[in-house]
Amino acid sequence: MSRIIDHGLEEQSVLITRMAELTYETLALAIQGYLKGKSVQDEVLEMSDTIVAMSDKIEDKGFELIARFQPVATDLRTIKSYMKIGNDFSRFGRYAFDISFINDKLNGLKECENWCKDDIEEMSKKVLLTVRISIDSLRKHDTTLAKTISETEREVDKMYLDYLQKLIGQEDVSSKCVISSVLMTRYLERIADHAVYVCESIVYIVTGEKINLG
Amino acid sequence: MNNNAKIQSIELNAWFGSKQVLKDINLSVKANAVTAIIGPSGCGKSTYIRTLNRMHELVPNAKMSGKVLLDSQDIYASDVDPVIIRRRVGMVFQKPNPFPTMSIYDNVAAGIRLTGAKKGKNLDEIVERSLEQATLWDEVKEDLKKPGTSISGGQQQRLCIARAIALQPEVILMDEPCSALDPIATAKIERLVVELKSNYTVVIVTHNMQQASRVSDFTAFFYLGALVEFGETNDIFESPKNQLTEKYITGEFG
Amino acid sequence: MLSSYAFRKFKNKLFFFLCLICVVIAVVPLLSILFEVISRGASQLNLQFLTANALQGGIGPAIQGTLIMIGLTSLFGIPVGILSGVYLSEFGNNKYASGIRLVNNVLTQFPSIVIGITAFSLIVIYVTGSYSPLAGAVALSFILIPIVARTTEESLKLVPNSIREASLALGVHKWRTTLSVILPAAGSGLVTGTLIAVARIAGETAPLLFTILGNSFFFQGFNQPMDALPIRIFFDSRQPSAEIQAQAWGAALVLILIVLALNIGVRVASRGRFSR
Repeated sequence: MSRIIDHGLEEQSVLITRMAELTYETLALAIQGYLKGKSVQDEVLEMSDTIVAMSDKIEDKGFELIARFQPVATDLRTIKSYMKIGNDFSRFGRYAFDISFINDKLNGLKECENWCKDDIEEMSKKVLLTVRISIDSLRKHDTTLAKTISETEREVDKMYLDYLQKLIGQEDVSSKCVISSVLMTRYLERIADHAVYVCESIVYIVTGEKINLG
Repeated sequence: MNNNAKIQSIELNAWFGSKQVLKDINLSVKANAVTAIIGPSGCGKSTYIRTLNRMHELVPNAKMSGKVLLDSQDIYASDVDPVIIRRRVGMVFQKPNPFPTMSIYDNVAAGIRLTGAKKGKNLDEIVERSLEQATLWDEVKEDLKKPGTSISGGQQQRLCIARAIALQPEVILMDEPCSALDPIATAKIERLVVELKSNYTVVIVTHNMQQASRVSDFTAFFYLGALVEFGETNDIFESPKNQLTEKYITGEFG
Repeated sequence: MLSSYAFRKFKNKLFFFLCLICVVIAVVPLLSILFEVISRGASQLNLQFLTANALQGGIGPAIQGTLIMIGLTSLFGIPVGILSGVYLSEFGNNKYASGIRLVNNVLTQFPSIVIGITAFSLIVIYVTGSYSPLAGAVALSFILIPIVARTTEESLKLVPNSIREASLALGVHKWRTTLSVILPAAGSGLVTGTLIAVARIAGETAPLLFTILGNSFFFQGFNQPMDALPIRIFFDSRQPSAEIQAQAWGAALVLILIVLALNIGVRVASRGRFSR
């Protein structure tokens, strides 16, 4: 038997799913632009603004559902978590914009050695994978898939620290490269962190448990 | 016996004739807290609280088995007088029922006068204190001689609460006390319930889940005569452990 | 051609008038009785008539006798009747009570003359050995008690069960609940029921004929016959003398006035105590 609240929950669910896909596209575009040295700042800015607007809508919807329907249990956890996840996704949008910004202003990886490019490309792939995991487990509320993010995120962390170590060891690296690549790897690492938060929220929705996946 | 428990049922079963209405209820009610009992119609919640003050046995053909411990004493032991238990465990009913031939003052004093507890007591003081605790004093202090039925429904219910607490029971049972009241009167009673817990232990049966989540510290979910889940209200309404509880509180059935 | 709405209106009016006619038919006998009694009896009323004994052309002993009968019967019968009603209502959920209730209902319909001859053989012959006001009181009680018991039970049953529960839940004993909460709550119903019963026995004739017989003089003791208004009316109306027959009408008027006074008096007295 469907309940009055189901319609509203469905609306919020559709919003978050659309936002998820847009977020992935935005990140992929920004990262590609950075790696290939193409300027995509305007496009990414527009997409990022859309993502922020969607996050606001999801929050408003959540408040409306709480005020009108007094949801409890799974419904309540879902609404609360979607609002939080919307926030995490809008962070992705922001980071995507930051990446395209430093690409524009600092010429991306053009000033860097090939080994930098390879390492960062490797790390980007892994980070996009974490985002993919978080989006897919969100769509299906799949806790098993969500929990697999731990391993990948640990790898991203390791790659981040390794890269920094390598950079410290190097003698003549251009300062533009240093700043640009350090900022980029920092953004990538934070993106992976937020993907983990999304997966933790999914486990909370389904089981009610608050766990640490990072 | 659970240390914090004020009143506790152990393996409690109840029947009306051959129909079993409560099955093996093991429930521990914490002292100075509000415990709500929720569940769909016919799940046994009203029957349950009536076993706590031995009102269940007043119905013809009613039977029960098991124990109910009030401070470690089994109220169903053979040497226990049910009348004494009812003075320690008070009850407020769904429809306000002040005594129609008595004034407001007499209604509140009725418990003391009719149980022979009048000796050496200052009735004026007790009536005032009870009406104050029931947040009704200011509204009726000029009209104490008026009939108990001359005030509004919400005020009558608070009068019944004052009547119950005049005897200073240890536990107050409330059987859907707000069902017959409008939202404003309901809100007043809910605030009163939360205030009462500092001096009494309260068990409130309600079919309104939002009310249960507003006023109670602990919630018990009954279904078809069995206790399905019991826990802190926060936990029950945020993450219930039992699927059936989840279905009921999210409105999938009931 | 009548439209269906006009026809319905006509049917309504027709029905209304039929009911009205029946009411008039029902009320006319009562009014005519009152008219007869008042017109024939009023002329008899004077102090001499009301206070002298029969040999002096008065109905003093009859009035006294009726009042004594009402008093004695009520003294014995009302408490017994009320407590029986209390039993049937508050404790009567079993098959024994059902049996008692059945017997009680039969007794309320019992022919009063049978009660009269029963009281005669039981009490006049075996207990008092003579015609006696006590025998009269017992006979009238046989009529009074079943009626009071039944109306008491019905009044008590009208008190909502929630009131009983409220009192019991306070830890009040059942007997105290019944006495201090339920009986007052049933108050006006009890009074009305009792009143109906008393008014009924005030006018009963047959039981009195067999138990107190009648007397021209005032009360002479508990083992002597006594007069009463119904008896006086019965005997006087069969005398050939028109004067004495007129006294019968006077007695009838006094009897009706006593019953009326009872009604009004108790109503006034109970309005204060049991008002809701």
